Amino acid sequence: MVKLTIDGVPITAPKGTLVIEAARQAGIMIPHFCYHPKLKWDANCRMCLVEIERVPKLQTSCSTPVAEGMVVRTATTAVTQAHKSVLEFILANHPLDCPVCDQGGRCDLQDFSHEYTPTTSRFIEVKRIFPKEYFSALIETQMNRCVQCLRCVRYCDEVMDVKALAPAGRGTMTEIKHFTHHELDCEFCGGCVQICPVGAITSRLSMYEYRPWMLKRADTICTYCGDGCQITIQTKENKLIEVNTAHGAGRNNGDLCARGFFGYHASTHPDRLQHPLVRRNGELVQATWEEALGFVAETCIRLKMEHGAEAFAGLIASRCTNEDLYVFQKFMRLAIGTNRIDSSARYGQINGVRALRRVQGTHRWAVTFEDIVAADALLLVGTNITETNPITGLKVKEAVKKRTATLLTVDALVPAVGTISNIANLAAHHFPVHPDRFGHVVLGLIKAVVEDGLVDQALAHRAPAYVQAIGDAVQALSWPALESATGTTSGALREAARIFARAARGVVLVGQGVLRSPGGYGLTTNLLDLLLLTGQHGRPGCGLAPLAEENNDQGAVEMGTVAEYLPGPCDLNDPTARERIAGLWKEELPKGPGRTLTETLEEARTGKVKAMFVVGENPVGSLPHAARAKDALAQLELLVCQELFLTETAALAHVVLPACSYAEKDGSFTNTEGLVQPVRRAIEPIGESRPDWEILSALSVLMGYPIEYGDAKEILKEIRSLIPGYGLLGAGPNPPRPDEAVVSRYLREGYAEDLANRYAATQPTEKRTGHFTLLVTQSLFHSGKFSTRSTGLLEIQNTGVLGLNPADAARLGVTDGDRVRVSNTLGELTAPIKLLERIPEGLAVFPEHFDEEARRLLGVSTDPQTRVPYCKSAQVVIEKL
Amino acid sequence: MLQEKYKTEIDEILSRYPVRRSAMLPLLTMAQREEGYVSEAAMKEIASILRVTPPQVYETVTFYTMLNLKPIGTFHIQVCKSLMCALVGSDSLLVWLQARLGIKPGETTPDRLFTLSTVECLASCGTGPMMQVNDDYYERLTEEKVDRILADLKRDGTSPLKSGPFILPEPEGAHG
Amino acid sequence: MPSYEPILTKNMLTPGYTGSLVDYERAGGYQALRKVLGKIAPDDVTAMVIKSGLRGRGGAGFPTGVKWGFLPKDYTGPRYLCCNADESEPGTFKDRQLIERDPHQMLEGMAITCYAIGAETAYIYIRGEFVLGAKILEKALAEARAAGYIGRNILGTGINIEMWLHRGAGAYICGEETALLESLEGKRGLPRVKPPFPATHGLYNKPTVVNNVETLANLPYIVNRGPEWFASIGSPPKSTGTRIFCVSGHVKRPGNYEVPMGITCRELIFEHAGGMRSDKPLKAIIPGGASAAFFTDQHLDVKLDFESVAQAGSMLGSGGVTIMEEGTSMVWAALRLMEFFYHESCGKCTPCREGTSWLVQTMRRIWTRRGRLEDLETLTDLCQNIAGRTVCAFGDAAIAPITSTLKHWRHEYEELIRTAEAAGSAELVMPATRH
Ligand SMILES: Cc1cc2nc3c(=O)[nH]c(=O)nc-3n(C[C@H](O)[C@H](O)[C@H](O)COP(=O)(O)O)c2cc1C
Ligand code: SF4
Ligand code: FES
Repeated sequence: MVKLTIDGVPITAPKGTLVIEAARQAGIMIPHFCYHPKLKWDANCRMCLVEIERVPKLQTSCSTPVAEGMVVRTATTAVTQAHKSVLEFILANHPLDCPVCDQGGRCDLQDFSHEYTPTTSRFIEVKRIFPKEYFSALIETQMNRCVQCLRCVRYCDEVMDVKALAPAGRGTMTEIKHFTHHELDCEFCGGCVQICPVGAITSRLSMYEYRPWMLKRADTICTYCGDGCQITIQTKENKLIEVNTAHGAGRNNGDLCARGFFGYHASTHPDRLQHPLVRRNGELVQATWEEALGFVAETCIRLKMEHGAEAFAGLIASRCTNEDLYVFQKFMRLAIGTNRIDSSARYGQINGVRALRRVQGTHRWAVTFEDIVAADALLLVGTNITETNPITGLKVKEAVKKRTATLLTVDALVPAVGTISNIANLAAHHFPVHPDRFGHVVLGLIKAVVEDGLVDQALAHRAPAYVQAIGDAVQALSWPALESATGTTSGALREAARIFARAARGVVLVGQGVLRSPGGYGLTTNLLDLLLLTGQHGRPGCGLAPLAEENNDQGAVEMGTVAEYLPGPCDLNDPTARERIAGLWKEELPKGPGRTLTETLEEARTGKVKAMFVVGENPVGSLPHAARAKDALAQLELLVCQELFLTETAALAHVVLPACSYAEKDGSFTNTEGLVQPVRRAIEPIGESRPDWEILSALSVLMGYPIEYGDAKEILKEIRSLIPGYGLLGAGPNPPRPDEAVVSRYLREGYAEDLANRYAATQPTEKRTGHFTLLVTQSLFHSGKFSTRSTGLLEIQNTGVLGLNPADAARLGVTDGDRVRVSNTLGELTAPIKLLERIPEGLAVFPEHFDEEARRLLGVSTDPQTRVPYCKSAQVVIEKL
Repeated sequence: MLQEKYKTEIDEILSRYPVRRSAMLPLLTMAQREEGYVSEAAMKEIASILRVTPPQVYETVTFYTMLNLKPIGTFHIQVCKSLMCALVGSDSLLVWLQARLGIKPGETTPDRLFTLSTVECLASCGTGPMMQVNDDYYERLTEEKVDRILADLKRDGTSPLKSGPFILPEPEGAHG
Repeated sequence: MPSYEPILTKNMLTPGYTGSLVDYERAGGYQALRKVLGKIAPDDVTAMVIKSGLRGRGGAGFPTGVKWGFLPKDYTGPRYLCCNADESEPGTFKDRQLIERDPHQMLEGMAITCYAIGAETAYIYIRGEFVLGAKILEKALAEARAAGYIGRNILGTGINIEMWLHRGAGAYICGEETALLESLEGKRGLPRVKPPFPATHGLYNKPTVVNNVETLANLPYIVNRGPEWFASIGSPPKSTGTRIFCVSGHVKRPGNYEVPMGITCRELIFEHAGGMRSDKPLKAIIPGGASAAFFTDQHLDVKLDFESVAQAGSMLGSGGVTIMEEGTSMVWAALRLMEFFYHESCGKCTPCREGTSWLVQTMRRIWTRRGRLEDLETLTDLCQNIAGRTVCAFGDAAIAPITSTLKHWRHEYEELIRTAEAAGSAELVMPATRH
C-alpha cells in the first residue's frame, strides 16, 4: 500500500493505482475523456492534468501511478487553468449541437463545460467538418463531435479483440471509420456507443427518441444466452427505448454483445400475442382469459378422469424465470400429478450437469468468471465462445490478453483474423478438428498426460486402480490412429497436455459443439477425467465449466423441470428428497416416471400421452423434421401453449395463452456459472399477457389444486425453503466445492461403467469425397427464441447464409452471394453463400435461426445415457445452382 | 496477388522482425510499387499476411502521406513548400509547374501522366527549390530546368537531371 | 575560412571517395569495430562514450553514453538499437549526406553501439522519401554482411549483430523516438507517453536505444582516437565534438558545414556559408531546425553550442541553421512553419492537435490582412496552453516560431492587422484547408 495526499486528503492505495483512480476513491473527480478503467491508459486528451509536488510540469493523472508521499493537487489555479484550456481546445472544433445530440444530458463534454464555464469561445475560425458518411444500420457516427480520445478504438481492440474501428487520417482530420468507405462490419457489441464520452457514436435504434432524463430505467438480466448479463432497460411511456449497462455492473461488468445491446425490441414486436386464443371449428380465435382457462381446466379434468395423470406431459423453455419454472413443475406434479416434465435444458445443458453430478456431485460449476480470468491455462472444447457465450468469451479474452493465460482450443473452426473475433486466434495451441472428433483430441491429451508422467501424484496414490484403468484404456489407443483422426501430431498434443497439466490454475470450458453433439455426455465426463488426472480438479480456481446456451438452462435444471430431477436438483427417485419436498408441499409427489422431450413426443405419437402443456418451448420449430414433432403433437387431445408469439408449435395448440416476456415481469434467472440474479419489470405487460407462473397458478385454482402466490418474491421464498440458500446472493456466485465423497465413489467405481465406450477411439466415419458436413449453429447475432423478432438484430442478419471455406467455394465454382443447393437423402435447400476463412474445408455452416429449410436435412440421434437429442449436423452434397 | 508474385520477398521481409505486424510499411510500400497506390484488395491481403484486420491496415495507410489510397499519375511530382524552400523560390516554382501542367496541387493531368502535390520538407533545404518525382530528387530548380525535366520524363520516363548521392557544398574539384 | 579538421565529413570530402566498403576500409574504416569487439568490455565502451561527452545530434542533445547506461543490466531478453534516419526537421539535411556519401561510417557506429548495449538486432528507420539513401544503405549493408562486419559471428568473435533497413512512409512525427518505434511496429506513428522510456520499454516493449545517424557516425572516431581527444573538440565540457550545421536560406553557399561546436553564428554564416546571398542585411536566424526559436541579428555572436544557444532562448536542435534576409516577413515565415506543424501533428493530444489547427488558421487570417488585435493575445495564450502539456516535444516545438517572432517582430503582426482594420476586412473568415 502506498500513502499519498490528494487535495490534502490522506489516501492509501495499492501500489500501481493511478492517481485518477486514487482520487476517485477519495471522492475527488478529476475531469477526463480518454481514460477509462477498462482500458490501458493512453493519456491523449490531456484533460486530467494535476499538480504533483516537486514535479515541474503538470502531469496526467490517468497515467501516473501513486507513489509514497506523493502530494497531488487537483484544484489549484494552474490546474483549473489547464482544464479550462484543454476544454477550450476541444470545444474549438466541436459543433456544439447539444440540442440535437442523443448524448445530451449524459455527456462528459457537456458536464465539464458546465463545470468550467468557459467564457464565449475565442475560436472564430471555421470549424472542422467531416463529410458525413454512412456508417451502419445500427451505429451512427457524428465525427464532428468526436474528441479523438480513441476509447472506442481501444475498446474494440483491447476488450473485444475485434479491431473493426480505424482512426483514419491524422491530426484534426482523424475520424473513426471502419474500412475505407465500407459500412461497419463487426460484432456490434455496442461497446463503442457505450464508451464514447460524447455523442460521436450513438445507437441508431434510439436516435432522437429521448433525452436521458425522460427515461425510466430497470436493471434486469438479458435473456439471449446463459451468461446472464445485467442490462438496464430504458423506457418511455411503455416503449423500449434503449438498453445499456454500466461499467462495474453485473457479471458482464458493463460489456454486452449485439444481442444484449441491440436485441431488445423483440418484447414489443407487433406480432406479440395480446389475447388468449382457443381453437373453435379448427381455427384459433380470440377468447377471454376466463373462457380459455375454464376450457383448459375443464378439459384437463376430463382427460385426467378418462386417461389418468400419466396421459399428461409438460415442456417448458429455459428462458422462463426460476419462478415460472418452479410453479410449472409444481403444477404438473400436484395439479396434474405427473413427472413427465422436461425443458430445453435437455438440448445440451443436461449433459454438462449430469457429468458434473456424476464425477463431483455438484450440478454447478466449481469455478466462476473470475477464475476464468485468473486461470493460467484455459482449454476450450467445442465452442466458438464468442458466438454462443460472448461475455464468457470476454473473460477468456481478458485472461489471454491482459493476464497472459495460455489458451488451448479444440474446435471445428480455424484461426483467421476478421472483424468478428475468433477465439482460436488467441490460442497457443489450436486443434482444428472435424466436429465429430473433438473426443479424439481429448483422448490424445489424456494419453499424453498418462504417457508423459503428468499424472498427479496425489491422485495416483488416492486412486491407483482408476489411474491404471484409464492408463490401460489410453495405452490401447495408437498414436497414429489418433493423429490421423485429429490431423494433428502427437507432439502438439503432448505439448498442450504439458501446458495444461503444469498450469497453476487450469479451467476447461465445454460448449455446444460437445454438449449438443453425439457422445457429448461421455466426452464431458472425459474432460473431468483430464482435470482429475492432471491434478487440476478440486483445486480452488480450477474445474470444468459447461456453457449454458439459454439464459436459464441452469435454473431449469435446478427447479426440477427436467425428467430426472426434482427441485434442488434432487434425483426424482431419491426417497429423502421426495419426503422433504412432500413435507413442504403438504402433498404426495407423483410416483410415475419422468420422461424426456423425445420420449414424450414418442408417447404422444403412440397415443400414450394425450395432453401437453408447452410453455415457451417450440419443438416443432426447433427439432429437425426427422423428429416428427408436428405429427406427434397433432395427435394430442389437448395442447396448451403459453407463448409470446404464435410459433409453429403454438399454431397446433387447442389453447394459446399469451405470456409476458422477461421485460414485463419480476423474478430471477440463474446464469451459466450458477448465479441467481434478479429480473425486473421494465414495461407493463403487452396486451392481456400474464407471467407464466400466474397463468399456471390461475389454472391450478380452477382445477382445484390451488398453487397461489402474491408475487414472484413469494415463489422465490418457497424455492429457498426447498433449496437452502437459493436466492439473490450478491454480486458473484459462491461456487460449490466438489463433493469429495462423490469424487471418491467415482474414482472407486463410478468411472468404470462406461469406460470402454468413453475411451474407444471410434473409427470416424470416412468422409465421402464431395460430401460436406453441414453444421447448424448459433450465430453471434441470433440466439434464444426471440432474436429473429428484434428489428435491430435483423438489421445485421436476416437470412440464412451458408458459410463455406473459400477453397471449397472455388472448387464448387461459387463465390460470395452465389446460391447453392444443399442436399442429402432427407431433403434439400438452396441458400446464398458467404466465404469465410475461419470455416475449414469440408464444412458448411448454417445459422440455426434461419434453418427452417435446413432442418429437413438433419437426422436425430439420442444419447443413450442422457437422452439428449443430437440434431445439429448432417452429411450433405453441395452444388452450384 | 502479392503473395503469389513476391512470395520469397515477403517471407524475407517477415523474417526481419520478431512481430509480423512490423512488416506493415514494407508490404504497403510493395503494394504501392505494384499498383501505384494501395488498393483495397492489397490492404485485405496484407491484413491476412500480417494477421491483423483490414481496418488496422487502413488506419495505418491513412497516417502516412506517401501512401496513396487512389490511383495517381505515372509521375508524382511533389514540390517542397516548407519555409526553407519557400525562401529560395518554391512558390514560383509551383506556379510554373501549375501553368506547365495545367493542374493544381492534388490534381492529375487528364492523360494521367502527372500528379502534382505539395509536400513538407524533404531534406533539401540547401538545394531548394526542389521537387521529388517518384523516387528521384530534382534540386536547385529553375524554370528551364523544370521544363527539361518534364520533357525528359515524358520522353524517357526519367531525367539525367536527378540528384545523385548528396553532398553540399560540393567539394572543389569533385563532381557528383 | 578558418580550417578545422572535419571528422565525419573528412572521407567524403576526399576527392574520389565513393563511400564503398573498399574506400571506407582504406580510410581506416571498421578498425574501431575490430578494436572493441570482444576486446573491450561493453560497459567500458559505454564508459568511453560517456567520457567523450558525445550528445545526441537528433535534436534533444541527450548524452549518448548516459542513455545507453539506462538499459537494464540484468535483463536477458532481446534488446534493440534503432538508428533514427528519419531526418524530417525542416532545415536539416545532414543525415542525408552522411547516409548517401559514407554509409559504412554509421553502420560501424551502429555495430559498436549494438555491442555496447548488447543488442543483436538493429533497425535503421529511414524516411520513406530517401529512396536513393535507402538503396545506398542496402548496398552498404550487403557489403558489410559479406565482409563479416554484421551478421552472425562477426569477425569470428561469436557476436551476432543483424541490421535491417526499415523505410518510413511520410510522417515527420516518426522522427520522435517513440513514434518511430510505433511505426516500426507497423502502427500509426503516435508518440508514446513517457515514462516508461525506450531504454526499458522500447521496440516490442524491450530495452531499446534510439540514436541519430550523426550521433552514431561519431562512434568509430571516439573509439579510434579516444574519448579525451573527442572531449577536447568544441566547447567542452558540455558540447564536445563537431557538429554538422545545415545552412540554408538567404546565404551564398548553403550546405553542410562540419565545425567544432561553439563557433559563432557569425562565423558559420559569413566565413563558411559565404555570407548573405544579396546585399540585404541579415534579419533572422533559426539556429536549430524548424522547432527552434528565431534569433535576430542581435544574436550573431551567440556560440553554436548546446548551452549558449539555450541561454539565448533557442535550441541547437537538429543543427539546421536557416538564414533570412531583411525584407522577409516574419509573420509569413512563422506561418509557413506553422503550416508544417499543423500538417504533421499526429493528432494524439488535444492541445497540439487543436492548437496547431487554431494557430494556423489565425496566422493565415493575419497574413491575409484579416487579423484583429485580439488575435495576438489569443496566439500568445494558445501557445502557452500548448507548452508543456503534450505527450511529446512536438507541441513545444510547434509554438516556437510564433512565440519567438511575436517576441522579436510583434510590430510586423501589428502592421498587418492595421492594414486589415483600415480595409475593414477583419471580420472575414477563411475556411480551414489542408491542401
Ligand atoms: C517531433 C520530433 C521529431 C524528431 N525528429 C527527429 C529526426 O527526424 N531525426 C532524429 O534523429 N531525431 C529526431 N527527433 C529526436 C528523437 O526523438 C530522439 O531524441 C533522437 O532520435 C535520439 O537520438 P540522439 O540521442 O542520437 O539525438 C525528433 C524529436 C521530436 C520531438
Ligand atoms: S505533441 Fe503533437 S505530435 Fe506530439 S503526441 Fe501530441 S499530438 Fe502528437
Ligand atoms: S484522461 Fe488523462 S489524458 Fe485523457
